[in-house]
Amino acid sequence: MSRPSPQAVWAAFLLSLIVGLLLQLVELPDSLSAARPLWMPLMLSYWALREPQLPSLIPAFLIGLMLDVLYAAPFGQHALGLVVVVYLVVRLRSFFIMFPLWQATLALIPAWVLYCFLMFWIDGATNHRPEIWLRWLPAISTTLFWPLLWSVMELIRQPGGDDD
Amino acid sequence: MNSLHDSYHRPLFPRGPGFGLRTLFLIGLSLTLIFYDMRGDTLKPARAWTAYALTPVIWLAAVPARLVNLARGIDTRNSLEQENETLKAQQFVLSAQLSKMEALEAENRRLRELLASSAQLPDQVLVAEIVAVNQDPYRHQITLNRGSRDGIYIGQALVDAHGVMGQVVDVAPNSCKALLVTDPDHGMPVEINRTGLQTIAVGLGDERGLRLPFLPSNADIKNGDLLVSSSLGGRFPAGYPVGIVYDVKPVAGEHFMEAYAYPAAKLNQGRQALLVWNRGAQAEAEAAAAAERAAVQEDPDAAVRAAGADAPAAATPPAATTSPGPTGAATTPPTATPAAPKAATPNGGAAAGTAQAEAPKPAAPKAAPAPTRKPDPPARKP
Repeated sequence: MSRPSPQAVWAAFLLSLIVGLLLQLVELPDSLSAARPLWMPLMLSYWALREPQLPSLIPAFLIGLMLDVLYAAPFGQHALGLVVVVYLVVRLRSFFIMFPLWQATLALIPAWVLYCFLMFWIDGATNHRPEIWLRWLPAISTTLFWPLLWSVMELIRQPGGDDD
Repeated sequence: MNSLHDSYHRPLFPRGPGFGLRTLFLIGLSLTLIFYDMRGDTLKPARAWTAYALTPVIWLAAVPARLVNLARGIDTRNSLEQENETLKAQQFVLSAQLSKMEALEAENRRLRELLASSAQLPDQVLVAEIVAVNQDPYRHQITLNRGSRDGIYIGQALVDAHGVMGQVVDVAPNSCKALLVTDPDHGMPVEINRTGLQTIAVGLGDERGLRLPFLPSNADIKNGDLLVSSSLGGRFPAGYPVGIVYDVKPVAGEHFMEAYAYPAAKLNQGRQALLVWNRGAQAEAEAAAAAERAAVQEDPDAAVRAAGADAPAAATPPAATTSPGPTGAATTPPTATPAAPKAATPNGGAAAGTAQAEAPKPAAPKAAPAPTRKPDPPARKP
């Protein structure tokens, strides 16, 4: 199967970002909302790993600003987190794609934990301090969702087979 | 995962700033934005425009919840009849209580007039619908479908059938954002109903509710005590239930205790809230504070003249503020007894304190104890 055209890749990229934003916003029951996976870091990391020629930093920054507005967080909080995660993933890309899927899942845990920590840290620095251990729950749920996201995206990418 | 098609080649001679440099630049930009967002309102327009541009996304994200609600709205005839029955019974009981309440209110007003006190029971309310809930689990904010066109103002109190929900922090023409009492940024003055002890209730940031920090270690407070809102600070109307204490414990190594309370309002149930006007008391307090400031600026000789000059200024704001609402006519008779401004001043100092600390940041505890600025009663002879 041939490589998808650049236009198709771009369309898929933007579409997936919008879907990720929606998933981040959809109302969940209270018991689940603390465990909502970090959809935007997931999506951006996927694209940074899969299509490194796409610009990933600027979209990460802009999406981060949108998240800040939607969550009424300090302007720049999520932007900072997303930029740092994308940087990490892009820098260690050769390391991540060496592994099979399940090992990459484990190897990406530090990235999610770093993101959670940055959110926690900025909240603390801006005097917004809910001190609960539940804050680290998204790192776990994101780890669980990574293989799922990767498989689904690959399935959408090549419905025929896996000869790349 | 390792079967990646490697048509991507790293450019041999990359142009422009490197990846690390760009990242550093964006990180610096984010930190600057955070800094300026915390220090003032310079970024407000950018925020407002982004929010405006994202309206379709918010609308789309609300669709699933709306569908779920729709599905839940389908009910059997039997259960509807049952519900109707209970509601009727409840309405009967409540209207009986209300008629008694009216008599009590009138009596209360007469007694207060006898005491020459200006405190009023707030009457003017507006029902608003909750249109969105902030999906960050650690920020307890809701969006309501009323805005400045309905006369909503920043700092307005929000209640439901069971108690205080929070206060308005941001007003747009057609909507407003309210901070709930359980948000860690929220603090409000409360009174323990049983003993009258005044203290501050700060949000905990999770479902457990409220924290009452820095209680004296011999304070008379125990499990089951009802907290009601106090009018110190001038934002909340007095006497609405706020929470019920469920835990009191001494803090290790400190000279004070802490208490924890569940919020009385049903914060995550129902789609409606009641906006309460407390503007009469607030405007009076502001006018008193302004008069006081004017009196301080003038030299002592002209103090009497100043008091005479700002008497009309003190009388106008309540009249102006009651006009936007539909039922505002009866809320504040500003032509109270001569002693009325005097009675409002202790409130006034505290209100000025919170007005400076705008959003209910941790600065709130400072505002609760006795006002630092002394009013000047002798100068005030209308």
